[in-house]
Amino acid sequence: MRSPGQAMLWEIWRVTRVEAGWKLALGTVGALTALIWTAAFAPPGNPTKTTDFGAVVALTFIVMPQFVGWLFLPRLNGHRPGFPLRLQFTNPVRTAFMVGVPMAYLTIVPAAAYLASALLLRAIYDYPFPLLPVAAWIAVLNLVLTASHWSARKTSVTTLIGMVFSTALMLFAVHRLTSYPDGLDWHDSPKLWPTIFDFPLTDYALIVVIGLAAFGATVARVARQRSGDAPAASFAWGSGYPERLINLFRFQCPTSSATRAQVWFDLKIRGLPVLTIAATLAIAIPLLFAVSVPIDAAITEGSRLHMSCSNRGCFYLRPMVLMFAAISLLIVLFQGGNAFGFRYKQGRVYLSGFEMTQAYGTAQLACLKLLVRSACFLAALIAVGVSFWTSLPILGDDLFIQMWGVPLTNLQGAINGFIAALTAYQLFALGVVVAIGVFIWTTAFAVLGALWTRYPRPGNIAASLLLLYGLSLALLALAGRYGIVPAFLVDAIFTASGWIAAASMPFTIAYVLWRGFAERVLTIRYAIGAVMISAAFAAAWLTVLRATGIQPAVSMLWPLPLALMAGVLAPWALNRIRHT
Amino acid sequence: MENTVVDVNDLSRSFGGKSALDGVSFRATAGQVYGLVGSNGAGKTTLLKHLLGLWRATTGSVRIFGLDPVRDPVGVLSRVGYLSEERDLPEWMRVDELMRYTQAYHPTWDESYARELLETFALDPAKKIKDLSKGMRAQAGLIAAVAHRPELLILDEPSSGLDAVVRRDILDAVVRAVADDGRTVIFSSHLLDEVERMSDHVTMIQNGRVTLSGLLDDVRRTYQRSRVHFVDHMDRPPVLETALAMEGGGRAWSVVHSGSLEQFHHSVAARGGEVVESRDATLEEIFLARAGRSRQQVEAA
Repeated sequence: MRSPGQAMLWEIWRVTRVEAGWKLALGTVGALTALIWTAAFAPPGNPTKTTDFGAVVALTFIVMPQFVGWLFLPRLNGHRPGFPLRLQFTNPVRTAFMVGVPMAYLTIVPAAAYLASALLLRAIYDYPFPLLPVAAWIAVLNLVLTASHWSARKTSVTTLIGMVFSTALMLFAVHRLTSYPDGLDWHDSPKLWPTIFDFPLTDYALIVVIGLAAFGATVARVARQRSGDAPAASFAWGSGYPERLINLFRFQCPTSSATRAQVWFDLKIRGLPVLTIAATLAIAIPLLFAVSVPIDAAITEGSRLHMSCSNRGCFYLRPMVLMFAAISLLIVLFQGGNAFGFRYKQGRVYLSGFEMTQAYGTAQLACLKLLVRSACFLAALIAVGVSFWTSLPILGDDLFIQMWGVPLTNLQGAINGFIAALTAYQLFALGVVVAIGVFIWTTAFAVLGALWTRYPRPGNIAASLLLLYGLSLALLALAGRYGIVPAFLVDAIFTASGWIAAASMPFTIAYVLWRGFAERVLTIRYAIGAVMISAAFAAAWLTVLRATGIQPAVSMLWPLPLALMAGVLAPWALNRIRHT
Repeated sequence: MENTVVDVNDLSRSFGGKSALDGVSFRATAGQVYGLVGSNGAGKTTLLKHLLGLWRATTGSVRIFGLDPVRDPVGVLSRVGYLSEERDLPEWMRVDELMRYTQAYHPTWDESYARELLETFALDPAKKIKDLSKGMRAQAGLIAAVAHRPELLILDEPSSGLDAVVRRDILDAVVRAVADDGRTVIFSSHLLDEVERMSDHVTMIQNGRVTLSGLLDDVRRTYQRSRVHFVDHMDRPPVLETALAMEGGGRAWSVVHSGSLEQFHHSVAARGGEVVESRDATLEEIFLARAGRSRQQVEAA
């Protein structure tokens, strides 16, 4: 390396290159797929409305991956808040330089990736995807998120700053994108994007001010970290949860058996933190809902000038709290990940040697970890889901009529009616499907994480090929639509793809079973247990299908092998990591 | 052999085309202390991780108590105590929680021994691991590794970064006691005087290969350090049979050599010199000579 700047850029690039590549690929391929599909399946009479919708979805696809911040970067210092390139502290470089160079990279790359996607879509399609205005806001959001992560001592502060700024930015964006004089939104007509996205110069001035303030604050905070005044708070071992959360509930580790001790361990480190987060969200949702109604009412009293106000009232806070509740569900949904407890250090992913050298069988360990995680995750989902569901009436029908043209009471009544009509057996089957579905979700995360960690290069290649395959299918559908490819050929390829996907499941199960027995990871007893659970899932799935009035066709049977696949893949994947 | 605890046969392992272990064979019997020495990146930790089944062999075989640690981790790990170089302990746990958690895995856990060690090391059971110093972490990890009276204790750089007091606690109070009890200890270390003091056997690994292995006394007897005086002034190290490394200049040289002393005397006399003094070489001298880190390395005769 010729200079410290190059060295820092190299280190940051090394950790973020895969993420940057994936964000660009997912956004672009997702956007292209949306545009192609909507073009392929647009009704012949009025295709513009459908293709316009495709363009809106495409824009969302290329914006969203760049709006979530850098997910892999915290791996550089084991998810500790604070400046991640701490090795630079002892190098003879100024703090402003040390902060500025990587921060510039982390700010520019998402904006550049968005611009690249938007320019590509512009070149292929006749839609004026916005360039500079959106790129500038993407840049400043990433800058602020990076600044909050590097400056704060506590993860809670980092999260709070991120949430406050993201919400403020979203409110500002809603204000800008809904203020078209004719009452049109950005998603009504992409042809109007050049006008709607033509933000005033004051926006750019604001972006510069926010950027400079964030940079200045970060330099000051990192300078303090450098002199040892404000060391970053230590984060918990392995789990990604703060140590205080892990030790919130104190109960003694049982010594009577290894299984009980392992359950205690997984409950402490991964299970109870998920439940605590869910309980907090479940309490917050009705409270926020209750507070939002009188505030909106107060605003309604004061003003009826804004787009968010209609003859039904003003809807400022209520859509926001509704979004908070939806995001809460998403947050809980992602707590199902990392059941095996991967740890991240200097960009390296690994499992704890301490845990892996305990005298416990790999299949049992995998199963136990997944069961504890799934049980807590299911309880968390139920807590947040029930809180959300029961709190919805607080917001009132008006909001739902305003947003979707459907009163909430109709929707809730239909779902409640459906559940009330179920017999006890059907309800039980639904419970089994949900419980095993949660287990499959948790296992899928864990297995993919394990295999990606063990085989990163083949994993990236396989995922890229799948992405390209999806895009090819979308292109094929479009080609079939315009008669470039005969319809029977398109049908044949789609049918063959379905069969290949279906056949890959039993093939995977057979291969993993064979390897599992050969490597002595699986036992006959374990395999019989997995088959029985899978059979229970299959029976429950068919019962639920019948209860919903759907006749079980071949295409509806694809989830049947999932439980068995999850059951055999989990120990095999953990074994691959435990004994590398 | 009936009391063979560890049997590694022609073990090879490579990472991305780079060979980390190359045809390593190693055997350990019950009741002995085995010191593993080698420079950084020589393959000591790689070998130990194979013994624990954390890594699988590319070729060759590893057997602990006659079992394959990859295929039968429970059978092996229930009889093994392990302290890693990284002191990879869960930081959120308190010391007593660590003890209880480890105890659950080992029915042979000796509660009074664990308590005795906690008192010896003056460790507060209510303290969290994250609040312990580096030395205290090593001590806590060591108690968790030895309190179930394992038949095989594997210590990876147990004294790395520790002060002399903690080092003495770990090595003298525990390792020796475990070995005297008829159990086996394998430990890797950079501190050669420590290995020399504690081990019955020594195995030297260089670039993934075992370059020296045997009973410590035999190894030391095989190598001598001699002071040699020549009549003529020597600008370059003289070529002497069995010499591995030389230091000095002019007429006075210090030589680390193997083979018989008589043969060496003849070799020196043939060059017009005489052996002034000879003694068994220390492990450090042997290591430096074998590792090619001596100030003046000599081509082996």
